[in-house]
Amino acid sequence: MRFNKLYFVVSLVVVLAMVLTACQAKTPGSTGETDALVKAAKAEGNLTVIALPHDWCNYGEAIAAFSAKYGIVINELNPDGGSADEIQAIVANKDNKGPQAPDVIDVGYGFGPQLIADKLVMPYKVSTWDSIPADSKDPDGYWYGDYYGVLAMEVNSDIVKNVPADWSDLLKPEYKGQFALAGDPRASAQAQMSVYAAAIYNGGSLDNVQPGLDFFKKVNEAGNFVPVIAKQATVAKGETPIILRWDYSALADKDTLAGNPNIAVVYPKSGTIAGIYIQAISAYAPHPNAAKLWMEYLYSDEGQNIWLKGYCHPIRYADMQKRGVIPAEVAAKLPTFDGPIAFPSIDQINAAKKVIGDNWMSVVGADVK
Amino acid sequence: MLNKQNSKQIEKRDAPKTRPAPFRWRDWLVVLPFLIFAFLFILLPSIILLLGAFRDNTGKLTLMNFAGLLDPSIVSAYWVTIKISLATAIGGGLLGFLMAYAITVGKLPRPIRTALLTFSGVASNFAGVPLAFAFIATLGRTGLVTLLLKNILGINLYDQGFSLYSFWGLSLTYMFFQFPLMILVITPALDGLKKEWSEAAENLGATQSLYWRKVALPILMPSILGAMILLFGNSFGAYATAYSLTGGFINLITIVIGSQIKGDIYYNPGLGYALAVGMVLVMAVMMAFYYSLRRRSERWLRK
Amino acid sequence: MKRKSFWSWIWLIIGMLYFILPLYATFDFSLRARKGVLSFLSYQNIFKDPNFWSTIRFSLVIAVFTIIVSILLVVPTAYWIRLRLPQLRGMLEFISMLPFVVPAIVLVFGLIRVFSGAPFFLTNTYFGTDALLVAAYVVLALPYVFRSVDTGLAAIDVISLTEAAQSLGASWSTIMFKIIFPNLKVAILSSAFLTLATVIGEYTIASFMVGIKAFGPYMSLIGQNRTYESSSLAIISFMVTWSFMGLIQLFNRGKADSGSLAGAR
Repeated sequence: MRFNKLYFVVSLVVVLAMVLTACQAKTPGSTGETDALVKAAKAEGNLTVIALPHDWCNYGEAIAAFSAKYGIVINELNPDGGSADEIQAIVANKDNKGPQAPDVIDVGYGFGPQLIADKLVMPYKVSTWDSIPADSKDPDGYWYGDYYGVLAMEVNSDIVKNVPADWSDLLKPEYKGQFALAGDPRASAQAQMSVYAAAIYNGGSLDNVQPGLDFFKKVNEAGNFVPVIAKQATVAKGETPIILRWDYSALADKDTLAGNPNIAVVYPKSGTIAGIYIQAISAYAPHPNAAKLWMEYLYSDEGQNIWLKGYCHPIRYADMQKRGVIPAEVAAKLPTFDGPIAFPSIDQINAAKKVIGDNWMSVVGADVK
Repeated sequence: MLNKQNSKQIEKRDAPKTRPAPFRWRDWLVVLPFLIFAFLFILLPSIILLLGAFRDNTGKLTLMNFAGLLDPSIVSAYWVTIKISLATAIGGGLLGFLMAYAITVGKLPRPIRTALLTFSGVASNFAGVPLAFAFIATLGRTGLVTLLLKNILGINLYDQGFSLYSFWGLSLTYMFFQFPLMILVITPALDGLKKEWSEAAENLGATQSLYWRKVALPILMPSILGAMILLFGNSFGAYATAYSLTGGFINLITIVIGSQIKGDIYYNPGLGYALAVGMVLVMAVMMAFYYSLRRRSERWLRK
Repeated sequence: MKRKSFWSWIWLIIGMLYFILPLYATFDFSLRARKGVLSFLSYQNIFKDPNFWSTIRFSLVIAVFTIIVSILLVVPTAYWIRLRLPQLRGMLEFISMLPFVVPAIVLVFGLIRVFSGAPFFLTNTYFGTDALLVAAYVVLALPYVFRSVDTGLAAIDVISLTEAAQSLGASWSTIMFKIIFPNLKVAILSSAFLTLATVIGEYTIASFMVGIKAFGPYMSLIGQNRTYESSSLAIISFMVTWSFMGLIQLFNRGKADSGSLAGAR
């Protein structure tokens, strides 16, 4: 009898211990990876990523930290790529298990439905799935928002003494030959969102982007527009001292340049626009477990804080703020803007893409003969 | 000129043709490695390009992509690209020829020749973002030369209407890699001009210009044409430099293709492939044109 | 004579000005990493980066293999077509121009599609991937290599040389390596230079094939976010490529002049 009682107590303790450890693995905010996943990922040993510049949302640190933590080697393809490059890479590498096939992709918000329609991604719900806002993810787990940025003006304040504060300032004659876009609106999300934002706050709306094209036409006619692709180098050189950029890129530029020259990051007073990016795992990923572990890492508090350090708004920001897991100094550096920020839906983005892309050349283009 | 029949008889009388009838198949053996290579690594991917041009985004067969070729903005894109390629092929060809002349016939010292040839090798591939930035740093609004001219000579280039971000600005930038290419390709031909010929011409009383017009240039013409078609192709396919410098504001076909295949906005590779097939067709037309010019220039060289 | 030299110098000076100014402007900008003073800080940052050394080493090795394969592939073919198969000439010229109009991104994806699966499985090993990369670069360099070699062949009388050699009892390999190659020295050098420069700076194919292991993607990574370093990297890559070409040139120093039977300068 006593033996049975002892047995019962011991089993109870053992079961309790198991339950407690199991619970611990599932407490909100932990990395959520199971030992099985980690082991399987380590067995794969490699992860192939694509189009991740190191200073974009501090991806450099994310890559290094993940690699160090799990001992998984990361192959980085095409650091300069856009969303279409990433999609094409998946399509072209369907039969390829080598290091040219991307395991995970980070593309623009508008590409979500297409990824599903073309059967290019596999569903996976990270352990912190529930804290991702519903409108930023596919309900079946095929894609999920990772971070967003807000459009701002990046200004070389050594050259431009009187920093512009709003959209209308860009039309002023004092900024002659000083303003440029950070890309071609037919190929760059940043540039296209610039036109979209200009539309919203200059007489248009989320569904009416023509005013944005008209705005840029006016800027061009005023002689303020420089028809070149602006980068950190052209801003620093003074060739394009005022550009429209994602705030995280502008702030990263400011840090990198470290005062040489001084950079001011200004949100247009009447309002700006947010750009969301989404993550997905390739349906043909050669290293699916490593890919899942990568997602677990990125969506853990640790991963989201790395993006936060890169001045991006991680998608779980609201949840993390509520639980108080954001380090104070990181939170302090995150840019705040109290004015209106537009969050276009997928359909609105794709509709705007078409209008802007088709009409850009005719409105602003230098159709030189 | 001899008529066809006479020239055939002369061919029969002269040195035996080096086209041996019996060992035909062995001739093909030598070129087999190249043909296999070309098939595997050039033709197969090109066929994928061709096939892809007939598919839309969902994979169904379609001719809509080719219909896109008739779009006026696309036609204009081809046209602008052809124009800039012609301009830089001819401009680069001319300057390159003169510089190659300087280091060969012009008898500049040997070390200069070596330095220029190696330099040309590097310069001919200095393109894309670094080249665009180099020219921005030189001729942009805050560029070195622009500021120099403004501060020292009082000339404001941009007020005068010049802009680096224009067709001519882009052409100027393209020339940076076009004329070194010309130098590298034409130097062997200039080396081949035998000294004896110019001496013989001189002995017969010809002036320098007559020698060049009637002897040297006709001999060089096939090679010059060949080099120029290379320059044309080089410029026709250029993408990175144009994109970095003009931000897509100059409507070049490579940039249009790029926006369909790469980038964050469009994703219509089928259309991109169809446009690339269009480029192949344009290239084929230019090559046919070049070929007819070359045959005419080679005519009197045939023995 | 004097008049000829004078104009030669003029063209040279105009040409050099045109080349040097943009490079000088880049160099000047690269020296401004430290505010207000001219310094080599951006150069130090590059040289301290181990990725710089590993990527440039990788690309140089790939370049050397590309040069060797290109020349071995193109010279005999171009020569033979001139000699025996002139009817193939048009096709060869057209093929050699295709790499210009097939966008690099299409080429790389096409190659991956064809060679990563059955029956080749090239991308499953590092060696296979690098071999595929070399093949892709041989394709890219083909227009330049073919044109240089063809121009060189046009300058020498291929048929007579061959016949003379044959009548003296030379075997084909003797003809190829002791007569044709030496006479094409300058053309081959030009091809080597062009190929080297093409491979070192190439971005698209390398970025999808091997990622940031190669120099082109490395340059792009730096260029995105490091202003001064990207300028200094442009200058450094220019200098490195130029010196490497100088080395190739030196390697052929002695034979450059003497070997040419066909009217050297």
